[in-house]
Amino acid sequence: MSKKVKKEKSLGTAQKKRRYDLPLNESSGSGFLRLLIALMSILTILALTTGFVLSDMTGRWAAGVQNHMTVEIPAEDKNGNVLPGENVRALSQKAQEIAAAHEDIESAEILPEEKIKEMVAPWLGEDISTSGNAVPLPGLISIKLKAGAEINTEAFQKQLKTVSPMIRLDTHESWLSTVLRFTGALKFAAYFITLTILITTIVAVAGAIRSKMAIHKDELELLHLMGALDSYIARQFQRHSMILAFQGAAIGCFIGGIILLLSSSMAGHMEISIVPEFQMNPPQIGLLCLLPFFISLLAVGTARHTVLRVLREMP
Amino acid sequence: MIKFEHIGLRYGIGPEILSDVNFSLDPGSFHFLSGPSGAGKTSLMSLLYLGRRPTRGLITMFGQNTGGLTREQLAAQRQRIGVVFQDFRLLNHMSAFDNVALPLRIAGKNEKEIQGNVNELLDWVGLGEAKRSLPNTLSGGEQQRIAIARAVITRPRLLLADEPTGNLDDEIGMRLMNLFEQLNKMGTTIVIATHNQAMMDSFGHPRLVLDKGRLSVEEGSTELRKKLQGVF
Ligand SMILES: Nc1ncnc2c1ncn2[C@@H]1O[C@H](COP(=O)(O)OP(=O)(O)OP(=O)(O)O)[C@@H](O)[C@H]1O
Ligand SMILES: [Mg+2]
Repeated sequence: MSKKVKKEKSLGTAQKKRRYDLPLNESSGSGFLRLLIALMSILTILALTTGFVLSDMTGRWAAGVQNHMTVEIPAEDKNGNVLPGENVRALSQKAQEIAAAHEDIESAEILPEEKIKEMVAPWLGEDISTSGNAVPLPGLISIKLKAGAEINTEAFQKQLKTVSPMIRLDTHESWLSTVLRFTGALKFAAYFITLTILITTIVAVAGAIRSKMAIHKDELELLHLMGALDSYIARQFQRHSMILAFQGAAIGCFIGGIILLLSSSMAGHMEISIVPEFQMNPPQIGLLCLLPFFISLLAVGTARHTVLRVLREMP
Repeated sequence: MIKFEHIGLRYGIGPEILSDVNFSLDPGSFHFLSGPSGAGKTSLMSLLYLGRRPTRGLITMFGQNTGGLTREQLAAQRQRIGVVFQDFRLLNHMSAFDNVALPLRIAGKNEKEIQGNVNELLDWVGLGEAKRSLPNTLSGGEQQRIAIARAVITRPRLLLADEPTGNLDDEIGMRLMNLFEQLNKMGTTIVIATHNQAMMDSFGHPRLVLDKGRLSVEEGSTELRKKLQGVF
């Protein structure tokens, strides 16, 4: 057998079918198994990717927020009267000085008004006139903590209140923990779904193998009578399911990959600023590429285990 | 080499098909197994090829008690036994060639050796032309010859044949009996189940006769054997 034919045969494209002692290629279950594994592969790749993207996203969110705090100076006094812009700016200046002097703080920056306008634009529209005091802009100070510093937020807040009782310190902690809890639950769900899909695949492959064995019971018995070892028979099922599973998994992962590309470009078009880019790290991409092989291995292992178990019950 | 002691066999809760069967086969012996239809010839054969276990009694084969064999030992013993089934049991999805080659592949022989041996044997049984055909496209007689070729290809130590000449015309039947005689000369122990009185008469081998579940042994005609000695 030439190398080319061998390769074609292992890919299932050769005209002449591989020789099996059992008519495995003829029984109707083959198409079902291939389709099933293709569908399972699509689901696996989507669920796994979702898990990866979520874990990457939360990681970056946490890193972006953990060393940061924001001080907000509302543009109103405690009676609800709007403060003129100059007053807000003056209060901001004072608060900034206190913050910058703090030993745990690396930098404290008053956000320029343009930046604040930009941030509130989605809610209030592009052209807010600050001069016509239609919408009073608050002052914001972005604070970056020194690496590893554990600032006493309560004491710091008290210090700030001396400037104005209205000043608020936002550590983002409650927001972060809510988001992290939420995405953590999603991530868990995604991985759990992946696991469920893989278990379903195992169960389905085992069922398909069992039904094939029931169809070919007489032939199996004959092979036994000729002195075939269980492992000899199992090898045929392994080879058969390996080829089917690999074909199915390759097709499934290919389709899954296309779906991923489509959805990532869709997410890109929506420009959701709170979602960082749809990204995965190289080990995760590698893992996805190995998925067809992993699924094939899973199918082969299941086939072997099932065949040996069923054969042991035969004489 | 083979010894049956107080063997009984029943299927499920049915009546005992074989009861208290006792006999032994010496290495290199040749026996006919006869008896009316339904006497249990095929059942006794299935015990001989280790296809089922007796409901009672002790079978010793190749020096081992078959009751205590591991799966590996069982497989190894079965590889030493060639069987021509009454209904052939050929695999219809593979060619005549592959059917005959199957026992060699199971035994792990290399493909070159397999090609040579199988082609030679198929030519010898007159199926050289048909080796690429699927069994179910061949006649009953041709299928029977494939079944016989498959049984003898490994040169088994024990050859069991259940009505092996039933579908064959006299000439091919004689040719195959000739093959069995030659294998027997080379040391193969042979048991052939048959109804064919004429065949049993013309070869003079001892007979195992089954009737109503009981087995009796009839000596062969040594005179006839001597006369035939020159023929084969
Ligand atoms: N698998 C089986 N299950 C139940 N009963 C069986 C089975 N095989 C055979 N029998 C019964 O055992 C008896 C003996 O059958 P067996 O096939 O051994 O006879 P035989 O001597 O080979 O007959 P024949 O000459 O027609 O081939 C019959 O009554 C048959 O009905
Ligand atoms: Mg019979």
